[in-house]
Amino acid sequence: MTPTRNRAALPNQAGIGLRHPHLPEFLAASQPVAWLEIHSENYLAPGGPRVAALERLRGDYPLSCHGVGLSLGSAEGLDRAHLARLRALYDRFEPELVSEHLAWSTAPDGTFLADLLPLPYTHETLQVVANNLDLAQEALGRRLLLENPATYLRFSEADWDEADFLAELVHRTGCGLLLDVNNLYVSARNHGTDPVAPLARLPLKAVGEIHIAGHARVVITGSELLIDDHGSAVAEPVWDLLAAALSRTGPKPVLVEWDTDIPTLPVLIAEAERANVYLREINHAMG
Amino acid sequence: MRWVELQTSLHQAMLAHSPDPALLALLAGPTGERERRLAVYRNNVRHALLNVLEAAFPVSRQLIGEACFTAVGLTFVAQHPPQRPVLYAYGGGFPGFLAAFQPLADLPWLADIARLEWARNEALFAPEAPLLTPTRLAAVPPEQLPGLSIWLHPSVRLLQSRWPIHAIWDAHQPNGGPLDAVDLKHAQSVLVWRLKNAVVQQPLSAGEFVLLTAFAAHRPLAEAAETAAGDDATFDLATALARFLNQEVLAISDQHNGNALGH
Repeated sequence: MTPTRNRAALPNQAGIGLRHPHLPEFLAASQPVAWLEIHSENYLAPGGPRVAALERLRGDYPLSCHGVGLSLGSAEGLDRAHLARLRALYDRFEPELVSEHLAWSTAPDGTFLADLLPLPYTHETLQVVANNLDLAQEALGRRLLLENPATYLRFSEADWDEADFLAELVHRTGCGLLLDVNNLYVSARNHGTDPVAPLARLPLKAVGEIHIAGHARVVITGSELLIDDHGSAVAEPVWDLLAAALSRTGPKPVLVEWDTDIPTLPVLIAEAERANVYLREINHAMG
Repeated sequence: MRWVELQTSLHQAMLAHSPDPALLALLAGPTGERERRLAVYRNNVRHALLNVLEAAFPVSRQLIGEACFTAVGLTFVAQHPPQRPVLYAYGGGFPGFLAAFQPLADLPWLADIARLEWARNEALFAPEAPLLTPTRLAAVPPEQLPGLSIWLHPSVRLLQSRWPIHAIWDAHQPNGGPLDAVDLKHAQSVLVWRLKNAVVQQPLSAGEFVLLTAFAAHRPLAEAAETAAGDDATFDLATALARFLNQEVLAISDQHNGNALGH
């Protein structure tokens, strides 16, 4: 059985990713934000102002911890030392939610590549990720939400569709789903598929959190590619896809991610406010 | 191909100059498109790691220029990628890499500036420790003072250079000193530490540097002071101690339990 010890749920409202440039404003005054998300790996240092700031803010905001380095897709299993570091962080801050990605970032020789790299969806990798998820949930003492990735390439060998692969992982490991709507859109556009179609196949009952973010559009030698750079406002088609997702999941905590070209805090909060409008509409619609 | 082999091939493609044709054959989509798609990941990986170096070594970057820093940084990244998923600790090998990098040999102080910047990075993330305050030191019985060992705060880093590294660093800050006033013949020792949650640095006199180095080696106070005075005729223990106590450079160690500084 999956251990569950998350002390409370995140509110079904919009939250924002806590970024270093905004720490002084958060420390100076309470901000109109329902909850915060951090990248776990940014808070693993033994001391210093960032950890101290999180210590202070933790009491005032519900918290989601988003891991970017566990490498659940790694064929050689997980880094036990890294699991121990994450466990210590989560035991210290007791986040309401903990999430990771369907991706890999640590190579078989231990090199960390600092990006969320893609994996083929095969019977073999399904077993790899399921084993890694079991180990991670056990070692962290928590249920994980697994995020659907933004991908730029696919592999010739594939036994599973991505949505079915995720559904099978949820079924086998008891993990939840972090539905990243921007990733859904970016991947669909990059692979020439319909972004709405996966909503019919993804395990939406397991959704514990939704991500939205901006993406970049690059055109190289005449063909367009969307890059999940979290460096701009959420694009209109992604807002539409959010509405489509919420109509199926009901209200959920929605996170606005903005990681490069980070805007001023009021801009980020305004983006979260717009997400709250969508959440209120769903609440009304569901009565 | 087993996933572990494919993963290794992808890893190599992230840091190598051009991808293995055997790998491209395993990807989906039009042939020309596959290499371009793979390059998106390669670009992400290299620039994510380069960004870590840019954040940790901003003055080194100013000294050699952005384009040169990008080139040397990407070379370092390809040859010495991180071995742990903990990026605040990535880049410690960069100063040594710069020191051995022949094309930059005409900037002999560059590697020491990078060492200073890495010391600042380490100070930012170092553990907390209870401070040794003037009151607490004053409570030590006088007869125990000579044998007392004093600890440095875990954020403290001591650097010694044959170049004026503090002055060069300071001249590259937004409100720093004038660059043309920097005397390149002036060697400098620098103290880096975290004061009230911010990283700060100050140049040290020869005696102060010797004193703090002796503290770092857990030499008893009397011995540390004697060595400092032997090296620097202008050294005054009372002045130096007052400065370091008031600036939160000194700490109480767990090992002080049971001695005169114990809780």
